[in-house]
Amino acid sequence: MIAKLHVTKIREIIKETRRIKTFILDMKIKAQPGQFAMVWLPDVDEKPMALSYIDGYAGITVLKLGDFTKKLHEAKVGDIVGIRAPLGRGFKLRDEDKKILIVGGGIGVAPLAPLAEKAVEEGKEVTAIIGAVTKSELLFVNRFEKVGAKVYITTDDGTAGIKGFTTDAMRMLLEKETFDACYICGPEIMMVKALELARAKKIPSQVSLHRYFKCGIGICGACVLDGCGYRVCKEGPTFWDFEIEKCSEFGSYWRNAAGVKVYFKKK
Amino acid sequence: MLNIKVAGLELSNPTMLASGIMGVSGSGLKAVAVKGGAGAIVTQSISIAPREGHKNPTIYTMDDSLISAFGLPNQGYLNYREEIEQLKDTNVPVVASVYGYGIEEYVEVAKAMEEFGASAIELNLAYPNAGKTGSFYGQSEHLTYEVVRAVKSKVKIPVFAKLTANVTDIVSIAKACEEAKADAIVAIGPVGAMKIDIYAKKPVLANKTGGLSGKCLKPIAVRCVYEIAKEVDIDIIGCGGVFTGEDAVEYFLAGAKAVQIGTAVLYRGIRVFKKVCREIESYLKSQGYSSLDEIIGLAL
Ligand SMILES: Cc1cc2nc3c(=O)[nH]c(=O)nc-3n(C[C@H](O)[C@H](O)[C@H](O)COP(=O)(O)O)c2cc1C
Ligand code: FES
Repeated sequence: MIAKLHVTKIREIIKETRRIKTFILDMKIKAQPGQFAMVWLPDVDEKPMALSYIDGYAGITVLKLGDFTKKLHEAKVGDIVGIRAPLGRGFKLRDEDKKILIVGGGIGVAPLAPLAEKAVEEGKEVTAIIGAVTKSELLFVNRFEKVGAKVYITTDDGTAGIKGFTTDAMRMLLEKETFDACYICGPEIMMVKALELARAKKIPSQVSLHRYFKCGIGICGACVLDGCGYRVCKEGPTFWDFEIEKCSEFGSYWRNAAGVKVYFKKK
Repeated sequence: MLNIKVAGLELSNPTMLASGIMGVSGSGLKAVAVKGGAGAIVTQSISIAPREGHKNPTIYTMDDSLISAFGLPNQGYLNYREEIEQLKDTNVPVVASVYGYGIEEYVEVAKAMEEFGASAIELNLAYPNAGKTGSFYGQSEHLTYEVVRAVKSKVKIPVFAKLTANVTDIVSIAKACEEAKADAIVAIGPVGAMKIDIYAKKPVLANKTGGLSGKCLKPIAVRCVYEIAKEVDIDIIGCGGVFTGEDAVEYFLAGAKAVQIGTAVLYRGIRVFKKVCREIESYLKSQGYSSLDEIIGLAL
């Protein structure tokens, strides 16, 4: 079944950081970690957002960035939003994996917190590397700690944890420890590097991709990846390392609303 | 059993991907051609310059139908060249859907698409939600005639005219296509529609109105094909709500030689083309026919 539009209200708003808010919706859901919602703000726009709360009242966690997210940040409890969820294919926790590594950068941590919670529930040992530009922008560290995950923190400016990127911490960690599976979400260039590190140690990994969505349900073709032909909104947004290897545009470009390629800036 | 010749094109089966579905890039179309098994694929509608189309929400889903208004987004024909070129090794005919704001724009894009290797041109005279193009032309006998004639005089590959049912008399428009020497008629594009959410108290689509596609469209489209087939001799391709082989057979009996499939990709997956073909075949066998040709127009 294709999730239909459900118009609901904002039930609760949680200020996570200076630029990040969580919106709990008056709509119960049962989703997989990594699945997403198409979020409609009447008169503004409709955009994909990872579900950050997936069992019970649905939640999304939003970084204030462009027009849409700015408007969403202005919304109040009781305001109306339209939701199509859950959509896409979430992360896959495999029975045989006992010890997993989660690597999240910036707002990319949003779908990883429910993943950590579910993994612990299934009896897995969870280690997480959480990165942000600065201490005050770190997201959901408490959610990881609460379920007993071992947490490493990185900040670009060194205000908390290790000074540097999540991939710096990952490199150090993988020198002394190994994992059965790795789950990565963050800026695409970060994911490229993290995948390389995991691959070097032969750790099966999943990444969660971000692309421009129109339909969100696999019919318009806006989010199709070159090379592999996968739809990020349907076969994704999560992909295994062996799947993403076939997607030639990964780490190179995305397509804008017109379908024109936009190349990533390399750091 | 299912191979058929439509407007001079030899198709391995009578199912074509409808325009605007999975057509943003060559990779999406390739997935439909290769995994899906379509007999031909139609690109999204291409214009002169890149166009972003409408803002989201662009789609509203129902049980077996959609209301959508994407507004014909595309990269512009120059960028689209490499998308079309990716499809050459699939050996599935590529029909380039083109549109313009002005007859000369239709002609310019159509000529380019022929040069890039398209097997046929589909003139979008049907789409209702993108300003003075698409159905703006298809709602006038005179403009329909002029666009078709202008493009026919400049390209050698077959030219299809895709028509809208948002007209008083679709038969007169179809006749204008025939007089202008169109090679085939595609009937029909989405019918103007809208959805208002009663709690938001607003139209759901950013464009306010959209086009209806899917099962809801089928009875209207079958009627259009039937009426056109009675009066016009050029080939007809049915479009609207084909989900199953049985749906396709209705169109064949009404006089269509092929069908286009759009919305069903959502409800039955990319492999819907293969599924529909199997179902057509089993219908033909159960009814004692040995080829698709034998049933075209039987209900007329
Ligand atoms: C997402 C979507 C995008 C579409 N884009 C186009 C387009 O670019 N050009 C066009 O001629 N028709 C477009 N259409 C209309 C379809 O080609 C087709 O005429 C219509 O959907 C009816 O067929 P169906 O019921 O099988 O979907 C679009 C339809 C949908 C659902
Ligand atoms: S956003 Fe339309 S196919 Fe993915």
